[in-house]
Amino acid sequence: MAEISFPLPDLGEGLIEATVLDWLVSPGDQVERNQPLVELETSKSALELPSPQAGKVIRIHGSPGETINVGEPLVVFEVPDNTAGIVGTVPKDDAPKRRVRLSAVLDED
Amino acid sequence: MSESNTATLEAGSATETQSVKLSMQQALNRALDEILSTDPKTVVFGEDCGQLGGVFRITDGLQAKHGESRVFDTPLAESGILGMSVGLAMAGFHPMPEVQFDGFAYPAINQIVCQIARMNYRSRGTLPMPITLRVPSFGGIRAPEHHGESLEALFAHVPGLKVVSPSDPHDAYHLLKYAASRPDPVIFMEPKSRYWQKGDVDTADGGTLTGARIVRPGRHLTLVAWGAMVARCLQVAELAAEDGIDVEVLDLRWLKPIDAEALATSVGKTRRAVVVHEAPLTSGLGAEVAQLITQSCFDTLKAPVERVTGFDVPYPSGDLEDEYIPNIDRILLGIQRVLEYRRG
Repeated sequence: MAEISFPLPDLGEGLIEATVLDWLVSPGDQVERNQPLVELETSKSALELPSPQAGKVIRIHGSPGETINVGEPLVVFEVPDNTAGIVGTVPKDDAPKRRVRLSAVLDED
Repeated sequence: MSESNTATLEAGSATETQSVKLSMQQALNRALDEILSTDPKTVVFGEDCGQLGGVFRITDGLQAKHGESRVFDTPLAESGILGMSVGLAMAGFHPMPEVQFDGFAYPAINQIVCQIARMNYRSRGTLPMPITLRVPSFGGIRAPEHHGESLEALFAHVPGLKVVSPSDPHDAYHLLKYAASRPDPVIFMEPKSRYWQKGDVDTADGGTLTGARIVRPGRHLTLVAWGAMVARCLQVAELAAEDGIDVEVLDLRWLKPIDAEALATSVGKTRRAVVVHEAPLTSGLGAEVAQLITQSCFDTLKAPVERVTGFDVPYPSGDLEDEYIPNIDRILLGIQRVLEYRRG
């Protein structure tokens, strides 16, 4: 298994930090991509942060009321080694399928 | 079969062999770890290579083990990554930079072609460039633009560069260590669609690391491939066997220099050849391979060398990959064209 850390992303508008309001997941939870992870409050608004990926949450950083800077660790996921690539998908090694058959008279001259 | 393997089979014990089952990702990670441990002059760097451990986790854990001065993140600027490699090499280091994806090498072409490839020549041998540039290469993972390209012909055309691509974990482990030990710059093209498939790695015995390698012997036709296409050609060979055609699969491995002798030996025996690559057809490395075969085997060839390749279009994203990358049927059709050919 591999660990992947998800730092607090840049929330736009020049904001450099956010305060944790409420965690919507706990360590041990299996989450799906885009599932809301945490409610955050910035100086502009409150928002729900969606998960960037599927995986098992193994650590969360920041209790409600604590402030986290952009780029600091927020969530650590555990994922199987073979899905640990961050870009793209892992190709399946399917049984090979064919439509073309070969036909040849092999003169072994 | 090496003596140590034989001894292990007889003893029935896993302790006497160095053979382990690893994915290519794990094999590369282990090789880098060992290179960093044994050569204090090696430095590993690139986008996300440090703290994150690489987007494909090839450098996973290396910064924590070897420190931030030897394994580190760079800005998102490939010309800087490769330009810094030149300076580090001049100062006596052995840089192992990563360009995160094939298509990200374009901004660094000036540094690769005009500096890394010819600094040794330009300096009359006083400034060698012992740089191993790792490039996750080729397609097959449903990634966006610039993440699925095949640049081997571009690199192979540049005097002063060596180019190699492993097709399985064993070769990945040993070829990376071998490339890192060379005094010349080596472009190390990792087939990213093969990072996660596991295979046996004999860490003690790498076998011959120069030249091509026959991965499946056969009598009737030679399939020449490299990188991710080797696994596909092995599938094709199994299917061809159902039809009574005995296909040899030659993994070229080194794309510069190309092992012309291995091509001559294999096709000299089979008298038929199909070369398969993901890169576009025109001016692809398949043309070079076809010429080398024709040069050595012209008198005995049964048919012109066929090429089964990508198309002359920008690499397509997403599901269109399946139409672009040579698939099993397209390779079988290439074989059929060779089998059908009759001299006029």
